[in-house]
Amino acid sequence: MLIQVENLAHTYAPGTPLAHAALRGVSLQITPGERVGIVGRTGSGKSTLVQHLAGLLKPTSGRVLLDGAAAHARSSAAQRRKLALAFQYPEHQIFEHTVLREVAFGPRNLGLAKDEISGRVSWALEMVGLDAEVMGARVPFTLSGGEMRRVALASALAMRPEVLVLDEPTAGLDPQGRRELLGRVARWQEEIGLTLILVSHDLDELARVVERVVLLDGGRVAADGPVRQVLSDGDLLRASGLDVPYPVALLQALHDAGWDVRTDRLLPQEAVAEIVQARGMGIALGGDDVRSD
Amino acid sequence: MKPFIKVRGLEHAYPLEGGEWVPALQGIDLTIGPGEFVALIGSNGSGKSTLARHFNGLLLPTAGEVWVEGLLTSDPRHLWEVRQRVGMVFQNPENQLVASTVEEDVAFGPENAGLPPDEIRQRVDEALALVGLQDYCTHPPQMLSGGQKQLVAIAGVLAARPACVVFDEPTSMLDPPSRRRILDTVRRLNAEQGITVVLITQSMDEAAIANRVLAMHEGRIVMDGPPRDVFEQGERLRALGLGLPPAVEIARRLREQGLALPPGLLTVDALAGALC
Repeated sequence: MLIQVENLAHTYAPGTPLAHAALRGVSLQITPGERVGIVGRTGSGKSTLVQHLAGLLKPTSGRVLLDGAAAHARSSAAQRRKLALAFQYPEHQIFEHTVLREVAFGPRNLGLAKDEISGRVSWALEMVGLDAEVMGARVPFTLSGGEMRRVALASALAMRPEVLVLDEPTAGLDPQGRRELLGRVARWQEEIGLTLILVSHDLDELARVVERVVLLDGGRVAADGPVRQVLSDGDLLRASGLDVPYPVALLQALHDAGWDVRTDRLLPQEAVAEIVQARGMGIALGGDDVRSD
Repeated sequence: MKPFIKVRGLEHAYPLEGGEWVPALQGIDLTIGPGEFVALIGSNGSGKSTLARHFNGLLLPTAGEVWVEGLLTSDPRHLWEVRQRVGMVFQNPENQLVASTVEEDVAFGPENAGLPPDEIRQRVDEALALVGLQDYCTHPPQMLSGGQKQLVAIAGVLAARPACVVFDEPTSMLDPPSRRRILDTVRRLNAEQGITVVLITQSMDEAAIANRVLAMHEGRIVMDGPPRDVFEQGERLRALGLGLPPAVEIARRLREQGLALPPGLLTVDALAGALC
């Protein structure tokens, strides 16, 4: 599904003293199969933008098109169904009284056959690393924060969307949970040519998964380009209230100390290779991309 | 040293639909001294939050005992005093703010405690100063950033003048500048005010600023030591579903390549310093 955002503006509570312009003219296009990260400090407009993609908000001006149809229009229900959004706060979307029922809710609404629904539910729970046997009967509100987030993600995956939008999908997940979840989603993305849109504060994590980064600042697009370029631009990131990934920070410190190293190395193993080479040790290192975990 | 929190043989179980129970804590023995800064790490569902909720009697033991400064949490006569001593700050600041201005929100606890107005005023001013929000007294909380809201929530807890604050993943919803500000505040409260801190976190980088790291697994404490010792054990942490602080991870890979680096490099600055 082709996503076109054209000069999108959104003002909350317009015409009141609390009026707040969250988006001030955002344009971008996301083509099928892309892996895009959306970054920016709190209040930069990220969550407002993804809610527009999901058709949950009506633009104050400009438009959002999903395969040419306005995302928020009633007549775009078919397009909207191809896009699944997992919210930043799972407790905002979870309402069923068992985990199984919660994850089955979307597929049931699609009018799918029973077998298909239960197949999707087990697949989705497995994707997020939850054991259906153990967790299925649990009451969502007795789950830990990380478990609740996994349930919310499973609900989005069970829709088998063409476009998967994840708003801070790994906040509160443990490190292994983060690695595994992103690894599985990334492999699935490759298999079926899914469009993956990740909103995240964790630039180290984004660097492992996405190929393109859109940086929002004050409701505008401050940068939109290849991940390596945007996430190694320390001045730009700091001006936008973000930190560079740790490997970049290390390489920049070495560079400032006079080392001959490139600073656009986003992953730990890339930074290690760069340092080893600069030290003249010259050992070639294998990468371990998140997909090979 | 007299323990601040003492936990003996603590077990806790949650109900399942259908009347069964799932164990969340399976025999915890733990002592936390006054003024300690303890980071609590562990995979999702390992029992971190469940354990921390026993520190101020939000949860009561299925078996075993928890004492806070010698007060048994399961004794209803002590519950009020226990909650005065141990405050809790949660992940999502949106769920913790109740009033229409910052100062009213911070005053909520002291007002409920029935303190005289002068005392309330003094505590609110003191608490807002501790988190650096003294200029935001009359702001509506909903107009603040996520990080500022979290600072208001912390001030609300500090207004009760607790001896200990449990922070349950206080930064996981926040952007990097807000995260830094919260962590600086946490560190200052511990170092300057002597407040005992328990910081639950999924960020190994955050855990590294504590003086002591506890790792939990399946309802038990399986590692306990200073960060430099705990984070030397990469294999073990990985087996627990955890990881290393980014700088420690890069240092580990560099050592594998034959670079001689001293142990205990917990931050990027320390690692850069050791390399140069």
